[in-house]
Amino acid sequence: MTVTVERGGRVVEKRHHAKSPRRPRDSYALFLLPGALAFTAVIVVPFLMNTGVSFTDWQGVGSPEWSGLANYRELMDDSEFWASFRHSLFMVVAMAAVPTALGLVLAAALFDFVGKHFGSATASLLRACFYLPQVLPIAVAGIVWSWILAPDNGSLNELLKAVGLGSWQQDWLGDPDIALYSVMGVMVWVQIGFPLVIFMAGLQRVDPQLYEAAELDGAGWWRRFWHITLQQIRPEIYVVLLWCTIAALKVFGAVYVLTKGGPGGATNVPSYFSFTTFFEKTQVGYGAAISTVLTVIILALALIGLKFQTRAEDLEEGIRT
Amino acid sequence: MLTAQKRVVATAAAVMSGALLLASCGGSESSGSDGKTLKLWHYEAPDSAMGAAWNEAIKEFKRTHPGVTVKFESKGFEQIQKTAQMVLNSGDAPDLMEYNKGNATAGLLSKQGLLTDLTDEATERGWDKKLSAGVRTTSQYDANGVMGSGKWYGIPNYAEYTMVFYNKELFKKHGIAEPTTLDELTTAMDKFVAEGITPLANAGSEYPAQQYLYQLALSKADRPWVDSYELYKGKTDFHDAAWTYGAETFADWVKKGYISEKSSGLKAEDAGISFIQGKSPILFSGSWWYGRFKSDAKFDWGTFLWPDSNLTLGSGGNLWVVPKGAKNKDLAYDFIDITMSKKIQNLLGNKGGVPVAADPAAITDPQAKSLIANFNTLADRDGLAFYPDWPVPGFYDVLVSGTQKLITDSEKPDAYLSALQEAYDKDVPTK
Repeated sequence: MTVTVERGGRVVEKRHHAKSPRRPRDSYALFLLPGALAFTAVIVVPFLMNTGVSFTDWQGVGSPEWSGLANYRELMDDSEFWASFRHSLFMVVAMAAVPTALGLVLAAALFDFVGKHFGSATASLLRACFYLPQVLPIAVAGIVWSWILAPDNGSLNELLKAVGLGSWQQDWLGDPDIALYSVMGVMVWVQIGFPLVIFMAGLQRVDPQLYEAAELDGAGWWRRFWHITLQQIRPEIYVVLLWCTIAALKVFGAVYVLTKGGPGGATNVPSYFSFTTFFEKTQVGYGAAISTVLTVIILALALIGLKFQTRAEDLEEGIRT
Repeated sequence: MLTAQKRVVATAAAVMSGALLLASCGGSESSGSDGKTLKLWHYEAPDSAMGAAWNEAIKEFKRTHPGVTVKFESKGFEQIQKTAQMVLNSGDAPDLMEYNKGNATAGLLSKQGLLTDLTDEATERGWDKKLSAGVRTTSQYDANGVMGSGKWYGIPNYAEYTMVFYNKELFKKHGIAEPTTLDELTTAMDKFVAEGITPLANAGSEYPAQQYLYQLALSKADRPWVDSYELYKGKTDFHDAAWTYGAETFADWVKKGYISEKSSGLKAEDAGISFIQGKSPILFSGSWWYGRFKSDAKFDWGTFLWPDSNLTLGSGGNLWVVPKGAKNKDLAYDFIDITMSKKIQNLLGNKGGVPVAADPAAITDPQAKSLIANFNTLADRDGLAFYPDWPVPGFYDVLVSGTQKLITDSEKPDAYLSALQEAYDKDVPTK
């Protein structure tokens, strides 16, 4: 805010920094600019172009023909598309729900039990082990898992045979009734390290006095976990759930390496479906429609998640003050 | 009027967008048409028959074109397959490129005007005389991008076909006679099953399964049937005798144990490895495995054409195409000419490839001799029937998905054929 004052017959400008909330924001805007421009160039513009292409009939070369909402109408009736979205929901369970739940329990166990009884070095080592699949390229992990799950001499089937459970042997990736669950299992393994690391970091900032007080009051491990751990690291849980749900909706690499959407489309997911439509069938317009719908869904979920998280945080702050 | 701060913001914005614009335009600068550079892309592995032959061709080209630089870039098959359209649309197109043959690939590019018409060169330089009818089919495309007639848009220097690879030692060990007819083949497979061995190596999540099925259908088909299916010269009925026999026999073979019901999730590599490791006595697949088996299989093996069938899967190999935007087309034609020369063709043959214009007397390797002799038998009887996934874009995935269902018995042959019919009819070009 700028005011003009008269001093000794001279007009001078005086700036009231303290009272002006606009000034700092303007300065921040400058720092945000490169990011905003890059975001526009690599995200917004391609997304708008993709949306534009989704209204056309196009093979990727030559001129696209305007087809209006035809691709979207076709999508509505495409059972393969809806099946791929159903599989996505399974992936949300495997990549968000289960890893978050397991991650919570494991993080609490490592922090509370292993850390205390075996030292923080052991807990860190175990945490690193759980995190390892996150570091491994998905192509490598996928190929190794396809060996493990191979029907004839895969290690899982061999192991089952060795421990006398030969009747449990399965064609893990080749049986349409099982393949999706097998891929889900692999994804839990891939994903578990991420929530674990975030939750363990979250646990570091929980006041240990809370646990001590609860322990003195006779609260067992489960009650401490439920009433302290879970409540204190709620912001981390929101972040992890949101992040993992988005990752689950756009999962591609694992499906590509493990099953290529098979057998008989049993593990097809929207991103893989879009990929094959784009590049195998060269139906670029239709593929663009699939990816536009996928982006809109992910965006909506992200916004809802963020809104939910902000509201919960505001509520928490309201309780504290 | 702009404040100082706004000026800074505006300047930064201008600099950033300028930089982005420059970055987006940066790639389009080309090497120019100087007649001194041949920009060449192909995706054959250096140790494969084709890779060795093309490397030799590059040497030969350098020798005969002093002062010309060959800018060779080794690409991946997928890389070219998935980005060719964009590259050919830009100013970065090479002068000569290896590209996959068929309607959905080279046909599509030719239809979009991205490839150079090679008809005049093919006749002037005599390439058309060197290629047999079956091989030539994938070189020519009509205005709709359909192969088999029209202008020349690509030149293949080799061919490929499918055959039965069999492990002679396993046959001997189990006292099973080497088959020459389909009846003998099924008898042999019955004996292997009785011995607890799954006779056929298979892979459901990639091409091998659909190729078994197509071969079974081909054994009841003729050339007009193939032309109808692949070249749209008639209506294809997936419930006709040939397709029905193919699907039913395939499903039956799974039930009989000739094909493992646990092969639906396996990849082509798994099937090949299973043969190399001596676990599966028989693999029906293409000549692209030949060199690999030659170096990796540590047992005596042989090959024969699918018994009691005039037709088998196969075609000319991948094509040399000259992009429309190529800068040095004459050099590209010269290079193609060299790869068609006897010297390079003979080398290709001796390395385990199937040359299209070799001198039979110059092929000295005995296994290579039999590979080429079988091909000649096929070429003489016009026996190349292409591949089942060619007719419509995306049909490969439809076939993979469908045959997986046949293997796992989650779909019956009749429903499988109906699904093929629906997918085919939806995308088949109407002339």
